[in-house]
This record gives sequence, C-alpha cells and structure tokens, in this order.
Amino acid sequence: MSASRRRDPGRHSPTIAIKDDGGRFALEGALDIRTLREAANSLNAWQRERKSRTLDLRNLSSLDTPGALLLCDLQQHGIELTGIRNEHKSLLDLICGLERKPLPPQPAVSRGRQLVIELGKGADNAWRDALEIITFVGRAASAIGQAFSHLHSLRLPSISRHIDETGIHALPIVGLMAIMISVVIGYQGVAQLRPYGGEDFTINLVAVSMLREMGVLITAIMVAGRSGSAFTAEIGVMKSREEVDALNVMGMEPMELLVVPRLIALVITLPLLTLFADVMGLLGGAMISESLLHVAPLQYLERVRQAVDDSDLFVGLIKAPIFAFIIGVIGCMHGLRVRGSAESVGQQTTRAVVKSIFLVIVLDALFSILFDKLGL
Amino acid sequence: MNARAKPKHEPILSARGIVNRFGKQDVHNKLNLDVSPGEILGIAGGSGSGKSVLLKTLAGLHRPNAGEVVLNGKKIETIGHAERASLIGVLFQQGALFSSLSVAQNVMLPLREHTDLPANEQARIAAMKLELAGLAAESGLKFPSQLSGGMVKRAALARALALDPRILFLDEPTSDLDPLIASGVDALITQLNQSLGITVVIVTHDVTTLFGICSRIAVLVDKKITVDTLDHLMHSQHPWIREFLHGPRAQGAMTARKWSHGNR
Repeated sequence: MSASRRRDPGRHSPTIAIKDDGGRFALEGALDIRTLREAANSLNAWQRERKSRTLDLRNLSSLDTPGALLLCDLQQHGIELTGIRNEHKSLLDLICGLERKPLPPQPAVSRGRQLVIELGKGADNAWRDALEIITFVGRAASAIGQAFSHLHSLRLPSISRHIDETGIHALPIVGLMAIMISVVIGYQGVAQLRPYGGEDFTINLVAVSMLREMGVLITAIMVAGRSGSAFTAEIGVMKSREEVDALNVMGMEPMELLVVPRLIALVITLPLLTLFADVMGLLGGAMISESLLHVAPLQYLERVRQAVDDSDLFVGLIKAPIFAFIIGVIGCMHGLRVRGSAESVGQQTTRAVVKSIFLVIVLDALFSILFDKLGL
Repeated sequence: MNARAKPKHEPILSARGIVNRFGKQDVHNKLNLDVSPGEILGIAGGSGSGKSVLLKTLAGLHRPNAGEVVLNGKKIETIGHAERASLIGVLFQQGALFSSLSVAQNVMLPLREHTDLPANEQARIAAMKLELAGLAAESGLKFPSQLSGGMVKRAALARALALDPRILFLDEPTSDLDPLIASGVDALITQLNQSLGITVVIVTHDVTTLFGICSRIAVLVDKKITVDTLDHLMHSQHPWIREFLHGPRAQGAMTARKWSHGNR
C-alpha cells in the first residue's frame, strides 16, 4: 500500500486543486514534486483569503517528501490538516517531526574583499612554495650526496629504468619537435631577411638559436610535460595509496628510493636529449636551406661551422642539467605533496608541470643575462 | 506499513536470465531475481561473486550480456533519463559526491536538472533531505573533502533521495564505518523504508545489516542467486550458505538481531 501513494511516471502529468465544498476546503489530486509549485501558489492564495483554518486531505491521491514539507509548513502556520489517509500518515509524521531548518546562507564576501583575500592567499602560497622548493632542493642534494658516498644506496636498476623512460622513450618526440622548431625559425628568417638580401644568414639564425636556446628549451619543456608530470603522478599515487608510508615504516627512505634515482636519471638524460635535439634542429635547418635557399647539405655544414662557436654549444648544454634538476625536484616535490584522494594527484600534477615550465623559462632568462655579462 | 507483513505484490523490479561475462569467465549465468515493492532486499555473496556487477545491472548502469531487467513494468534501457532518475536512487560505495560542489549543491543538482522549482524551494527541499539523512543543515555548506566517512554516506544518501525514488540501491552502505555509525545507517534505512515506502536493495558483506534490517536475502553463489527469508536460508543445505550463515561473524550478528528485536 505504501507503493500506491507514489506517483506513477509515464501517465499524464498529475494535477492538484483546492476544492471548496460549502466552506470545507479539500486538497485534491497528487501533491508531489511536479505539482509542488502549483500547489504552493494556490495554497498561498487560499491562505491569504483566510476562509478556513482546516484543510482536508482525504482526496489526496499521492504525496511525496517535498509535498509533505509543504503541508507541514501549513500546519506550522496553524492550518489544521484533517482526513489524513493512513498511507500518508507516517510520511507526514516523519517530515513534520524534522526540525526543518533552512540551509544557512553562504557567507557573503564582497568582491573587493574577495580580491584582496585571494591576493593575500596567493602571495602567502607563493612564499611558502618558494621556501618548500628551497628546502626540497636541499634535501634532494643531501640525499644525492648520501647516495654517492654510500654507493650501495645508489639504486642503479631504478636509475636505468628512469633513463629508459625519460630519455630513450622521449627521443622521437624531442627529435620531431626540434625539426619543427628549426623549420619555423627558418621560414621566419627567410621571410624577414630576404628584403635585405640577407636570407643566407638564416642558416646562422637557425644554427645559433637552436644550439644556444631553442634546443635546450624545447627539450626541457617537453621533458617537464612528459617526465615531470609522470614523476608527480607516480609518486602521488604511491603517496595516496599509503605506499610511501609503507616504505617509511619498513625503514626505507622515500627520498633515497623514489626521488634520487629520478633526479639522477633526469640529470643524465636531459643533456643527452638536448644534444640530440641540437643535431635534429641542425638537420631541420639543412632541410630548410636545401628547399628555400638551395644550399646543398655539405655547403650548409660548412656555413654552420663558420657561424657557430664552441661556446654556443656549451651555453646550450650547460643549462640542461640544471633544468633537469629543477624539473625533477618540482615533479617529485609535488608528488610527495599529494594528500588522500585521486583528485589531489591531478591537481598536483598540473601544478608541477606549470611550475616547472615557468621556472625553466625564468632560469633561461637569467642565464641569458648571465652569459651576456660573462661575454659568452 | 511494515513490508515484512505484506502479501506478495507484482515485483517492482525483476531481472530475467541475466548473464554477465567478463572475458571467458561467467559471473552470472541465467540469473533471475524479483524485488517486491516496499521490501528491503539484501544481496550477499563472497568476494568476486559479482554483487556489485549485479547491482549495476539492476540499476541499468551495466548492460548484461544476455537477459533483461524490467523496472516498474518497463525494460530498463527504454526508460528515459528523467523518469529513471525519479525511479532509481543509488548510494555508491565511495559516495560519489561531486567534489566541486558543496553537499547542498550535490543534493540540489538532480532537483535543478529535473524540476522547475525556484532556487529557494530547491534549497529547502535539499535541507529537508539532508535532515532526513541525518545531517545538520550547516553541513550543507561543506564540501565532500571536509566530511568524515559516515557523513559522506549520509550526504550521498540525501542525494540519492533527492527525487524521491521508488527504489534505492545501496552499495556497501556500512563499509568503512565504525559499528555505531553503521548501526545508525541501518536504522536510517529502516526508517526511510517504512515511512517513505521506498524499496531498498542493499549489497553488503555486513551480516549485521543483512540479519538486522533485510526482509529477504539474496545469496549469490555458483553464478546463480538464492533468494529467501533469513529463517528459510538458515536451513539451506548449500555449503557456502551454511558456512556464511552459521560462521562466527553470523553468530554474533544473530545474537545482535535477537537482542535488538527483543528490545523493539
């Protein structure tokens, strides 16, 4: 019988009405979520007329919890509910027995205030972040030092696995990116230099910018997106599944086991990937020279040799291990920051990628200034 | 009002010849199940016996390899979204609350989607559902990450009840809860079943829930299902059922059942 009070979806939409039977008012039809609005409106109008203080529910065919909520509110306003059907009784008792407190209002904060709060929080977070990065760099450096002074704690299998994952698997994409970038620079160079009759200098442009800046930068960005995020996700999942705690309990240092092998692997692979990107970039330059400038490959090599200095290659490569260290540190740090849920893994991974790319570019700018001062 | 005393109705939900297969492994083999309106049906079975898959199949979330599920006289896959939402509520094992929404917004979401009630009315209904599920109105402003395990289950229950469904599916409602809170959830389910007349299908390992509040128990063994009242199942000759119902944990739950029934 309790089932019969429920609405029967699929039928015509139900109706609700207040019937006036010689001063006796009765609610007729179905009072459920679909008729609630209509019922509330007509009951409000009826109450305003104040014709009667009792409402008969004998002909109420169905009732659900929002409907019962409406009736309980009427009762609270002094309306007497009569002729309640048996099957509605326990529902009404249940709902009328509740406190029926409204949801508390959202604490309202004005926009200006909100902005100031956000700004303050942002600054505070940035400051904490900076401190945490510095601390983590220190801890990582000391753990690496530890690993090299006790060679048995240097996890060679782990390091080689990470070299494979972060280095060898990244070769195709890094190579392709390097070729593409040199094609882009080449086309721009030819277009800009041709009016001055200097389009041959495109070769210098491509070679120097690839070796000094673009090779290492795009490799670092690629690795940050590929491997930095993977570090965060791997360590983050281990953290959220309490695997990191398990390591700690078994007397193994997560720093030594999880962070150091990744950092060492990345510091080894990123310079090598950069060298590879440089070579591929020059190859892209050769393709451009052949097709746009009609310079044969051997001639191109000769031109590159004249244009490029040893220091150009050195300036590019010296940055790679430093970028690698930063990417690795940020990735691992955010992995260890994961708390609890899978959602947190996603958040931290995003942050790690954004932060490491940002830091790589900032550092690159600083290096540019530094090398300029050094006259390199 | 008590469902246990009622005569048999036309089933509100019936599954016929359900076959679920993963790879070469049959999980369910031509399984039949009827759920009568107003009852609390407990689905039990060993780990890996396909309880959760069965629940998903019954709720229309998983399409079986063969067989059909009929809900309220219609094949479940032919029921439209809005109608299905008003027929079925599911309490997922981890709550499945949307983490970007506050608890109240979680409860209001189906109301917003399927009704044209004004926002303040939706908020009032949400507050009432939260209270029904045993949560204070203040917790409506909290976000799922700020809730304890028991509160997550209650908030998820409030959301499952949002559209006054006719059938409530509960996936392990008392797992991860301490015994006191688990008993509270059991009592809540009974109360909702009796006052709202909601049909409840519970998948659970918790023998206390099975013995304490379920009017019938469905045991999943050997890819089939055996459904009966607890008293009849106690005399079953099937070795797994015997062991399940007479094992040490079951004995404890049996004592609890006698104790609580004696105190009612």
